[in-house]
Amino acid sequence: MGEPNGAPRLMAAPKTILAVEDDVLIRLAIADDLMAEGFRVIQAANADEALKVLQSTVDLDLVMTDIRMPGSLDGLELARQVRERWPMLKIVVLSADLPAQRPASLADAFLGKPYSISAVLTCINTLLSIENGEP
Amino acid sequence: MANPDHPVPIGAGVHTVLVVDDEILIRFQISSYLRDCGYRVIEAADIDEAMIVLNEPGLAIDLVLSNVGIGGRMDGFGLARWLRANKPEVPVILVGSPARAAEVAADLCETGPMMTKPYESEILLDHIKRTLAERGSLASGILGNAVAVLTRAGDVTRAS
Repeated sequence: MGEPNGAPRLMAAPKTILAVEDDVLIRLAIADDLMAEGFRVIQAANADEALKVLQSTVDLDLVMTDIRMPGSLDGLELARQVRERWPMLKIVVLSADLPAQRPASLADAFLGKPYSISAVLTCINTLLSIENGEP
Repeated sequence: MANPDHPVPIGAGVHTVLVVDDEILIRFQISSYLRDCGYRVIEAADIDEAMIVLNEPGLAIDLVLSNVGIGGRMDGFGLARWLRANKPEVPVILVGSPARAAEVAADLCETGPMMTKPYESEILLDHIKRTLAERGSLASGILGNAVAVLTRAGDVTRAS
């Protein structure tokens, strides 16, 4: 695994990312990019699937979600629920329709689409390094 | 011809398996298992997503592993019929329960990484057929472009 953009290397066990995206081809591209960097990626097609994973025994480190998705709730509502119920998880919102208000209380980062994989990786590595207390 | 004495290292000559299942935890487990065995895995949450993947020119799918009772514009049987008509070179395995899906994945995993280059999808399929036949569960279940339907009870059913 390389060190893209000077980001910290992943240490030991791979971090697990829950990627929530309703466009299967975008989801595939994101997952491939993240897995190529050594992350374990769980792919959810909508927020309902994401909640099933969150409520399971699967250990997660970060949730990355689109905003506009079919299902019972959109990505912003999913982020709110994650913050409330699983506050230890990092949250990245990745969307072509970012809201004007982007409170840190809702997500740790907001990234626009089309996304740059280098920007996504830098963001994720930074968030997970902070979580681990690394510099 | 495949030579079982010279296994392909994981990651070499990777085949792509499209896993179609609307139960995310099952889909994730099966997909992770197959990835650990060296396959490239594309996940589809329903038939509509599977069709998008199958119609994407840049994605070559070597085998489809689909849940029978999945939602979308058609069920697993419909997907198998569509593949038979439009992509007859792509083998399909339909599964009727998570347990059967896990068993099939185990068969794929056990067989796939040990195959040697060159191994075309027909050879891979042949391994799947043989593996399943050895389990005594697939005597008459291979149809047309090789659609094996494994039901919850472990029976083999024909796709119409």
